[in-house]
Amino acid sequence: MATTDSKSPLTPAVFHILLALSRGERHGYGIMKQVETDSDGKVSMGPGTLYGSLKRMLNAGLVRESDRRVDPEMDDERRIYYQLTAAGVQALVAELERYQHIVTLAQERKLYPKTFAHEF
Amino acid sequence: MNSDAWITRILYKKLISFYPKEFREQFAESMEQTFSDLCNEKRQAKKRLFSFVIWTFIETAMGIIRERLLLITEGDSMQTAFRTLGSSGVISFLFILPFMIMEIVNRRNFNEDFPFMLFFVLWLNLFAVSLILLPILRAGRTGNHGLANPTDTQGNTLLINPKPALMVSLTLVLLIVILFLLTTIGWEPLERLMNGPNPEVAYLPGQVISLLLISIPIAAGIIAGGPIVKTLRERGSLLAHPFHLVIVVLISFFLLSSVIGLLADQWPCFMGVQYCD
Repeated sequence: MATTDSKSPLTPAVFHILLALSRGERHGYGIMKQVETDSDGKVSMGPGTLYGSLKRMLNAGLVRESDRRVDPEMDDERRIYYQLTAAGVQALVAELERYQHIVTLAQERKLYPKTFAHEF
Repeated sequence: MNSDAWITRILYKKLISFYPKEFREQFAESMEQTFSDLCNEKRQAKKRLFSFVIWTFIETAMGIIRERLLLITEGDSMQTAFRTLGSSGVISFLFILPFMIMEIVNRRNFNEDFPFMLFFVLWLNLFAVSLILLPILRAGRTGNHGLANPTDTQGNTLLINPKPALMVSLTLVLLIVILFLLTTIGWEPLERLMNGPNPEVAYLPGQVISLLLISIPIAAGIIAGGPIVKTLRERGSLLAHPFHLVIVVLISFFLLSSVIGLLADQWPCFMGVQYCD
């Protein structure tokens, strides 16, 4: 199985999917809804991006299929659920630390939260 | 479900069928279900479906293009093809370079044009041999390392399935033999096609056709070599496909013998003999 370097930056789609799955296992539609909730509706992911990213994440060992079962809130067929792997958690933590570092840097340079308010 | 929703879902299912086979097998069902969930959500929220459907279709179409491109670039096919083309071009050029230098150095005192056509033909023949043999040599050397992302299940079956590959390459070889025989007996329509109405005058369409014709043995050799490459990558034997190997050897021999023949014929010229032709 191919693996990914947890130190390499993640694409926004992969980051949001990892973040969504950190709340627990989800099926495709569930991931989309969680991404929307996490981003206050600012990020809207279509099926093409979601499943393309999931394919690469499965290959990289960041997520795995956990189960195929009926969603109690949705009255239809069985769905494939996805969950984070240890490598997925590691990649998410590394990405969050990278963001943390950037935010700290921006604060040290007084760029954040008053981003460019006075200078420009 | 109303008829619009039903048609939309059928169309989305049709769109998903354009994904590569492996992707489709893994995700098509889930994608249809997710699309259906999204449609239901919009309907329940009494939101307009039309803009959502257009956006999702475009987004999915972009996903299909992305997956198709990734299949080409991550897989063996395109990267290896470009690498083989580049390597073959450079190797062939390096091989003829000493003869070009000999030509320039030894004939500098004669008032003659540089024989570009001669070196182009030499280069082209060597390029063709490299194109056929290089993938086989690489597969023999690297073994299974080249199968990081095999494309066997995705297509290109013509190049790796022994029977179709043999049939196609044999057909192409047969075509070359027929053309060779027709040229030998001086079949008039072919003569006119290659030399034009006046054989004394250079005929550009004929030269273009000749150049295109050289692609037939190249294609025959590459197609015959496909199953050999696959077997070698799987640590199999070079002799696993003897008929394919015979075709590859025969075509390579044919191309190399024309190079050797040309070099032998032009050797006095390379050595600086003034009236060498």
